[in-house]
Amino acid sequence: MIKIETQAFIQAKFSEYYEKNSMNIQPPASMEKREFGFFLLKERIMLRHKSYKTAEELRDSLKKLVPSNVYYSSAYYELPEEKMDEKGWLGADLIFDIDADHIPTPCAKTHDTWTCRKCKTTGSGTPPERCPKCNEQKFEEKTWPCDVCLESAKEETIKLIDILTKDFGVSTREISIGFSGHRGYHLHVESEETVALGSIGRKEIVDYIVGIGLDPQLHGLSRIAGPNLDDFGWKGRIARGTYEYLLSATPEQLEKIGLRKGAIQSLSEHKERILESWKYKGPWAMVKGVSPESWGKIVEEAVKKQAAQIDTVVTTDIHRLIRLGNTLHGKTGLKKTGTSLAAIEEFDPLKSAVAFHHGTATVVVSEAPKFRIGDEFHGPYRNEKVELPLAAALFLLCKGAARITEDGSSVR
Amino acid sequence: MEIPSFPIAIMMVATTEDSRIKRTYALAEAKRASSLLKGEGKQTIMKIANYFTLKLRPIQPRPNLSNYNFALDFTDYIRNAAIIQDKKWKLTNRLLSKGEVFLTTVEISRLLEEEVRRYIEQKLQVKVKSLPPSIMNRVNRLKQLFYEKRGKTSWEEIPSEVIIAAYPPCIRRLHETTSSGRHVSHIGRFSLTTFLLNIGMTTENVIDLFRSFADFKERMTRYQVEHLAGLRGSRTKYIPPTCDTLRTHGVCLGMDEICRGIRHPLVYYRRKLRVLKMKAPVAPGA
Ligand code: SF4
Ligand SMILES: [Zn+2]
Ligand SMILES: [Zn+2]
Repeated sequence: MIKIETQAFIQAKFSEYYEKNSMNIQPPASMEKREFGFFLLKERIMLRHKSYKTAEELRDSLKKLVPSNVYYSSAYYELPEEKMDEKGWLGADLIFDIDADHIPTPCAKTHDTWTCRKCKTTGSGTPPERCPKCNEQKFEEKTWPCDVCLESAKEETIKLIDILTKDFGVSTREISIGFSGHRGYHLHVESEETVALGSIGRKEIVDYIVGIGLDPQLHGLSRIAGPNLDDFGWKGRIARGTYEYLLSATPEQLEKIGLRKGAIQSLSEHKERILESWKYKGPWAMVKGVSPESWGKIVEEAVKKQAAQIDTVVTTDIHRLIRLGNTLHGKTGLKKTGTSLAAIEEFDPLKSAVAFHHGTATVVVSEAPKFRIGDEFHGPYRNEKVELPLAAALFLLCKGAARITEDGSSVR
Repeated sequence: MEIPSFPIAIMMVATTEDSRIKRTYALAEAKRASSLLKGEGKQTIMKIANYFTLKLRPIQPRPNLSNYNFALDFTDYIRNAAIIQDKKWKLTNRLLSKGEVFLTTVEISRLLEEEVRRYIEQKLQVKVKSLPPSIMNRVNRLKQLFYEKRGKTSWEEIPSEVIIAAYPPCIRRLHETTSSGRHVSHIGRFSLTTFLLNIGMTTENVIDLFRSFADFKERMTRYQVEHLAGLRGSRTKYIPPTCDTLRTHGVCLGMDEICRGIRHPLVYYRRKLRVLKMKAPVAPGA
């Protein structure tokens, strides 16, 4: 639990931010039809069912309330201030959430921690089944944004953009993307085409993007043939995924997915010919010793490579609240930051999202892994008092990994 | 059954005020329409698609497009195909490019059938005040015939005793996780609760299951469980999501043989019960 002084400090800084930067906060399209929601740090409650007619009203509210998190509905309502079932749903943007929490990364072990709720034992990575000390099964988990995690989230986002534009024909003008301010990206599609789609329709889109229920045979995989690299839709994705997978898979990996010794040997012996075969009809029917079942297993891996790991619940929920651009994330003190499709490759979330550029603060850190804010790395820290640039200090305070020193902080 | 001319038939069916009869009728009409369509040329199909404002485009069959004849906007596709329960119709298994799904003539006819069905169902929503007694008699006769033929079926055939051995894999897993107090996703809790309520577990027993959660709040849980059981507010009793939905959200884990033949966890339960019954030794009278 965050201490009173620390909480007051965060609140004061957030307030400063909204006083100075509220002009940069742009309301979503058709703002008067949206529901707004705010999480209040001190009261620890969610204020919901708010609605605003103008950007000014909204900005005034932010300055007054100083919420730790600001949300708006992906949905458009006739009466956004009413109770949920009386709002009158008119439609909703198609939204996607890509969060590192859903993508296994090797670095989770180095920066994520868990704490046993009962005996307070801690450890790194994802929590074990049972606490090694007291056998309890409940843990507090702390995850951290890091370059590797954020890069893999970005990769998934780029895959998603590819599927949306090429397969679904979504125009790049209808897509907006942003770093959430913590561990992932949000992607919005605002389009006439999809605005009225219900939950079932959105689920079909999700299944397509994640490759759920995909049957390779219905995409042309048989005993004698398979998809080509330049085919449309999942057909081409299956071929490209297979190409990539075979290029990089080690014999151990092939064994792990259940291929027989003979098949593995045959695949590595004919590596050159397989590469060559993509120019014609692909390797599907030409490698001796690789059965249709084995190809099926390889394709399964190919599909995993080509699918985009999105949060399935967010997209199918047609009443979802999402963070508003350029507002602060209560868990990091970073702001949700938009980027363009053209610039996403070079986009540096941990730099672009810094909301406080001046001043320092002295904090007592209980525990933190090495982390980066802006251009500087900090940490790791353990039970120590450090003076940090304000953004980095605030980051630790919001994460609950540090507290403000009693003698106050020097802020210039 | 002989079908009287269309508007009269519609009026009669609407008068039954019976949703099952309406559905059955709409489906039959739609099937008839689509079987007529299958023999039609591109132009007729285009005309009908236009009538329903579908974004459909005829294309020249090409070998690399598997000889498809039409391209349909994907939202129009989803609206009609999402309820057809066959993996061939799943968007994931279609050729989708630039927002269009490629279709053969037979396939577009099948989708138009859905449009027709919905169109008729909507027409059947009208309230017919009252018809002359001679027609009303025929309407009542129709109702009677319908139920003689179909009988009533519903979930309620499930026995009230809860048989854990008949839980599907997904539910068994959720049950274990929940009773050990580990975290379960929202959709997981929803599926487990509605499943248990539908196979006849009492609300009290369901509530007890959640006691091992660290953040267990009796009043909250009771409210939610009673709401799902249809004891509050809207009075609708909720049923668990379909297997398809559970798959999307990663709840479907460890499918077994029975899973392959079903689309709903409750159907799994009923089937497994039957299997268990067949295997069970004859119980000695206690
Ligand atoms: S197939 Fe259906 S019943 Fe079987 S595990 Fe999956 S969700 Fe459960
Ligand atoms: Zn412990
Ligand atoms: Zn990481």
